[in-house]
Order: sequence, then C-alpha cells, then structure tokens
Amino acid sequence: MKLRCDRRSVLKGMLGGSAVYVGLPMLDVFLNTNGTAFANGAPLPVRFGTYFWGLGLTDTPAGGTRWVPTKVGPGYDLMPELEALAAVKEKVSVFSGFRAIGDGRANLVHWTGHASILSGVAPATATRFDAASFDTKVADAIGTSTRFKSIDIDASVSRQPVSYSTRTGATFASPDSTPLALYTRLFGPDFQDPNSDDWKPNPAIMLRQSVLSAVTEQRRELMKGLGRDDQLKMDQYFSSVRDMENQLAVQLQKPEKREACVLPQAPKDPARISSVDVVNSNTKVMAKLLAMGLACNQSRVFTFVHTSGASETYLPGQSKIYHQITHDEPTDARLGYQPETSKLANEVMKGLGTFLAELDAIKEGEGTLLDNAIVLAFSDTGYAKIHAIENIPMFLAGRAGGRHKAGQHIAGKGAPVTRVSLTAMQLAGAPVGEFGVGSMKTSNPIGEVIA
Amino acid sequence: MNSIGRAGIALAAFAAPCVAMAAWTKAYVVEWNEPAIYYGAKAGVIDPGTDCPQGTNPEIDWVKVLMEAGYTREEAEWLRNPANPTRSPVHGQNQMAFRGKARANVYVNPTSTPDPGLVGVSGTLAEGLDLDGNAKTGFTSPDGEKGIDNNFYKTVGCWKTYRGPRRLSSGALQFNDSMRNGAWTTLIVVAGQGDDPMNDKDVNVGFYLSDDKMVKDGNGNIAPDYTFSIKPHARYEAIFPARIKNGVITSTKAVSGVLREPAYWRDLELERAQIKLTMKADGSLSGYVGGYRPWEHVYKGWVNARGPVIEALTWVQLPGVYYALRRNADYSPSGAKGEKTHISYALRVDALPAFVMSPDASQQVAAVASYKSLAPAETGRVSGLFPQVVDGIFIDPKAKQQAGPNAVITPPENIAKAKE
Repeated sequence: MKLRCDRRSVLKGMLGGSAVYVGLPMLDVFLNTNGTAFANGAPLPVRFGTYFWGLGLTDTPAGGTRWVPTKVGPGYDLMPELEALAAVKEKVSVFSGFRAIGDGRANLVHWTGHASILSGVAPATATRFDAASFDTKVADAIGTSTRFKSIDIDASVSRQPVSYSTRTGATFASPDSTPLALYTRLFGPDFQDPNSDDWKPNPAIMLRQSVLSAVTEQRRELMKGLGRDDQLKMDQYFSSVRDMENQLAVQLQKPEKREACVLPQAPKDPARISSVDVVNSNTKVMAKLLAMGLACNQSRVFTFVHTSGASETYLPGQSKIYHQITHDEPTDARLGYQPETSKLANEVMKGLGTFLAELDAIKEGEGTLLDNAIVLAFSDTGYAKIHAIENIPMFLAGRAGGRHKAGQHIAGKGAPVTRVSLTAMQLAGAPVGEFGVGSMKTSNPIGEVIA
Repeated sequence: MNSIGRAGIALAAFAAPCVAMAAWTKAYVVEWNEPAIYYGAKAGVIDPGTDCPQGTNPEIDWVKVLMEAGYTREEAEWLRNPANPTRSPVHGQNQMAFRGKARANVYVNPTSTPDPGLVGVSGTLAEGLDLDGNAKTGFTSPDGEKGIDNNFYKTVGCWKTYRGPRRLSSGALQFNDSMRNGAWTTLIVVAGQGDDPMNDKDVNVGFYLSDDKMVKDGNGNIAPDYTFSIKPHARYEAIFPARIKNGVITSTKAVSGVLREPAYWRDLELERAQIKLTMKADGSLSGYVGGYRPWEHVYKGWVNARGPVIEALTWVQLPGVYYALRRNADYSPSGAKGEKTHISYALRVDALPAFVMSPDASQQVAAVASYKSLAPAETGRVSGLFPQVVDGIFIDPKAKQQAGPNAVITPPENIAKAKE
C-alpha cells in the first residue's frame, strides 16, 4: 500500500501497550513556493484572540473625544489616544459608536459592557455572564488541533487573577497571571519543539492518555445502560475529558516544523504591583511569549487581559489610581477633556501597541504572525466617568490571513457591540452566523471590513 | 348581570381607581432629572463663577487629613498607597472611616470630628420654587422671581459632583445614564377639567413609576411617544393639584409625595411639595418639582454609597457634608419652632410625550388618581447601593485585615526601605 505523504500524514503504531501516532517531519515541500500557504493551497492558520483593557478611552459628554477618528473609512486619522497603534495602524480597524443594549437591564458598572461584547447579552448580575464568552466558540472551531485549545493570560497584576473567558457564564478561566507561569505552560516540561530533529513522544503524556483511554472505555460501557436524557448529561460531563484526550493526542503527533518558532528564555516575574509601567512591561514579556507560543503552534486562540474592568493600575508614584481619576477628574474647560485620564489612557494604549507589535515582530511566510491573526481589542466602558456603555472602544487588529480589510474606521451610530463580535468570529473562521440576544441579536457582521 | 359582565367590572376595578374621567389628559416620560443647581461659571466644573467665586471645593490632601486625625505620616501615606492591599481599587480604603475622636467612624458618627467645612454657594441666583410663599427669603431665580427656596443648592452647589452646566454635572450624568439604561422609569400624567389644556384652572398632575423601560433612538436619545404602564407603588407616587396658565403648570396646593430620585438615596420624600412645569410647543414638558426633604437621608445616601469612595472621588469630607446640611436645614414638619429636619430642594425635570396606560395595560389613563391601593406591600427594602456596606464601608469577609479603630497599619518593610 502506498503511504500518503502530506502534512497530515502519521505513522500509527503501538508503544508500551499504547497506540501512538507519529507524524512525518515537516518538509519544505509541504509549503507553496511563496511560503504563504501550505502546498495544497490550505492557508496558514488564522489565530484569534481577545485583548481587554479597563476604563475605556477618553470621551466627553459634550461630544469631544480623544480617540474617535474624525474620518470614517480607510485612512482614518490617528487621534491622540491611538498614537500607540501608529506602527500597526494599517492592520487595525477602529470601531466607534457601538453600544451595549440592556433591554431594560441596569448597567452593571465595569461589567455590562464587556459582558455584552463577549456573551451577546447584558448580564443580570455583576458576577457572571448570562451566556458563554464567544472566544470559546472560536476555540471550539479552530483550536482543536493544537496542544492548547486556548491560552488565557492576565497581565494586570491585579489582586485576583482576571479572565473574562467562560463556557458556563458562572466560572471563568484560570489565566496565567505571571510571565513565568505562561512560560511554563507554553515551553515547560510538556513543550515539544516542532523543529527538533530527535522528537519522541513524551512517555508521561502517553501514560496520561492511556489513563483517559481507560476512562473512555468505562464511559462507553456506562452509556449503554443509560436513558437518552442521562446519556446527554453524561455526554456533557465527559466533553471536557474528550477535549483533554484530543489535546493529548495532538501532543503525541510529531509537530509540524515552524520556521518562526524559537524557544525563548524563561522570564523573571516582575514586582507584584500594578502600576502602569509594570503592567505594560508584563504585557510586553507575556505578549512575546504568547507570540512565540502561537508561532510554535501551541495554540490558535488566546484571551489576554491587560487591566481589569475597574482597573487597578496607576502612574508610579501617584496615590490616585486610574479608576479614581476617571471619576474624580473634572473635564478641563479649556481642553475639553480630562487631561490626567487621557494621560493614563495613553499609557494603557501603549500596552496594546506593544502587544500588537510583538505579534507583528514574528515573521511568518511573507508576512507576520499579526497578518495571520485577528485580535478583538476592547474595553468595558465608553465615557468612564459615568460608566457609559455607549461608544465603547473596540478594535480589530491583524489581517486574519487576508480576510480582514484592515485600516478602517467604522462608525457604529448606536449599533450593538455584538456586530463587531460577530465580525471577529467570522474573520477568525468560526462558523457562526448569528450572535447575541434581544436588541443585541444580530446576523449582520460589518461587511466593510470583510474581504 | 351575567358572569362575564361581573368579571368585566372586577377587571376594570383593578385596572384603575374609581375616579371621574378628566376632560383631557397629557402624558409624559421623564427623560432627564437632576437637582436644580444654578451654574454661575462660563465653562468647566471647578472654575470660579458667580455661584462659587472660589470654584468648587478643592481636592483634599488625604494624607494631611489622616495626620490631623492622629495617624503618623508613615501610616497616612501607606493608607493612601495604591500598593496597600487594604486599599481596594473599587471600594476604597476602609480605614479612612476611622478618623474621629478615639478613631471613631466619622461616617456614622460625623460629630466625632470637628466640622472640616464644605464651601457652599455664595451667589444670589438659584433655580427652584418659592416653597414658603415668602418672597423675602431665599434666592432670586435667573428670570427675576424672588423667594426661591433651595438650601440644598446653597449647601452642595459648589460640590463638584453636583456642579456643572445643565445636564452636564457628573452626578446628573451618572444617575440619568443609569435611568435611561433601564434602572427606573418615571411617568407624568396631567389631567384637566377645562376645555383648553394650555389654560385650565382645575388640573391634577401625577408622578408614577413604570416597569417599562425607555427606548433610545439611534443617537442614544430617548425616543418620544412610546407606551408605558403605570406600576402601582406603595411609596413612589405624588399627585399635585394645579392650574395651567399659558402652558405653565403651577401648584394650587402644597402636598406630600415621594419621587424616585436620581441619587444614591433613592427616595425623594417631599413635604410641602409643589411643581412648576412648562408645556412646550414641541410637546415636551420641563420644569421643577420642589419641596422640603429630610436632609439626613441625603447624608446617609452618600455614606451608604461607600464613604471612602465618595470622599476620594468627589472631593468632600462627609462629616463636612453632614454639618453643612444640618446648618442649612430650613424646615420642620412639626412647626416653626421644631427641629429643622428638612431642607428646601428642587428637582429639574425634562419629560417627553408618551402614552401612559393603566397598570394592567388595558386602557390609556384618563384621569390622575392614586394607585397606591393597588400596590403590593413593600418587603425587604435594600437600604443602600451594596448590601455588604456596613457603617459606610464595604466589608469583605475574606479580607486578611479589617479596618477599625485598632487596626495595625504598618507598611511592608520593602516599601519603607524604598522610601528611605
């Protein structure tokens, strides 16, 4: 029998009583001549992520703004608080004027905004979402062939780790909240270098998978004797077990070679204080690790928190935190905005600029990792002084492998934030046609930015 | 009478109280309401103006305040340090409460500390109503009317949360944004017995709550002409006998009533309440609801909203607010010689035309009447913004260290060394 020879080819065998799948080495012949896709025409993988920061950007009730471009469409003007994005401007679309719509539910401060963006519904209580966050849908669609379905990162140095990724609405992901923790997850003992010439399946992983396989057999036997409803319940219960089996199976395959993948050095953790310089430094280190983790195909989906909704960050040496300043600083009559708030917003946006620059620094084919990614960056409020959930700043960064017509400013004019969420999902390649509930239910992505 | 007829009568009895139908009615939904704060500057919030010649009350040096309360500089600076784990980024530094005599909690014992002061309005103009019928007392309105009683404004008018151009003070923005996003809805029904709604000597004006939420248009403005049903409420209701002259509705008799207020303390409990509302050519309604309100409830509203947060964000010392409200109180329900437990106040109201239905939504209201008899009894009122707030501070039972008179306040060694 002739052996199939492509990037998905595997050698199937037994080792130590366990079945193992050994992939063929990734050869140049698997890529096309331009390095833009695999040889069979399959595109390079699109990565998807969310990037969250707290307290929005500077707005004023009188209509002034420090971030909404005056020009709509391509070639938008770089407003003061967008200057940190200058280097990647052509890869970033700006979405202004979108709002969370509560349908009668009260605005739960520092919660309703991002809960609406992520889950499609204004939540009833300020401790949970009323639906799963949509990054999990994307992970289910594009994240099953990597070691980690999703990587959850919190760079905020908050007192409690922060993540807004949830499958149930009630419990949230446990993020890696230090650079060392992230490094260990990505490149620790279980990391398999895709470029290594002496790759061998990890016996520890094989053992773990064999244990789960035994569980699988037991589950099958158990399921035979159950009624339909109980079978459904058991199926839900074991879905996480199956996820783990799949992830382990991935690790038992010889990974595809990744030219951009270079094993980084283990970082040192920064001081556990949440001043904005420390948070931005943390963001840079963790973005670099994440970027390499994506380049090394450890995951295709991530969630990243720069600062929490009621951000704890502050300028070093100051006794007032950013959150307090957004509320207590009066609008300067001459300038027309809150100058200290704007100063801190600029600092916070440097975090996003740095984050995107790290993704853009990884060469991949003829472009960069950012060209093959789509990142939804967003906040929890519009005008933070009053916790407004209108005009919440949202950005789509990265070209999504060419699907995103980037570099535009889209004025939402009161449209629901879920339109941007749906657009992000579709650009990431998730088969989702509709998103949201009630007034935020939409099947209408923003066509202007979709190629 | 058959059973269907009897059932119909029973349903109608629930739908609306038994009152005579008015000759005409007009109905509105309140799209904005805020304390009537006359703004005397040209622009900005903190800038000097005729109302507040020195501008708003300035930002407070909390380290200095804490040291004056007996804390050492090191303790005071550590309490205000964002790296201090006892200082919550959301709920503030609870130890701020304990700066009274013998470190008493100044939020619940404001007189345990000397009056730190709250600069009030020194201008002569104010918005509102002549509540006591005495043109010789009070402010002058911007259009020249004498006797405007608004000591609430006199007290808080230079507090930056209240101060600002119309619809632009931070407090008004915050609470109206909440209302407009569905936190509550207030309806106004005007009903008259004459044949000219612009000139009618026999009018009643009712203020009611609704569970139906306002709808925003594409620009974020409240859309007019939507339909709302009255929600009978045991407390929030006020009915004003009035007259209309050239479209201006004024009270003919002072009443007692309670409105839902755009503030942390939700009850606007008014004694000797009056209205002055103008029916505008575009169909909208604007003006004032005024009366005397219990001043201590205003203070408690701010305390229960978490004293340390309010003080830090709004640039006041809450004991100063307590002293100022007490000092400016100008009404006693028990008579002229009684304790002044109330302070004159006016709420500025903007309302849009709407359709207002009976509580069961079966018919448009055709009169102004009380629906209190249809309201369920109130149970389990939430006294403040957060149930976890006790004596003005947010209690986290999981916290490693609780604030209090005897709390040990020692910065970590590395912080102390870094300072050296």
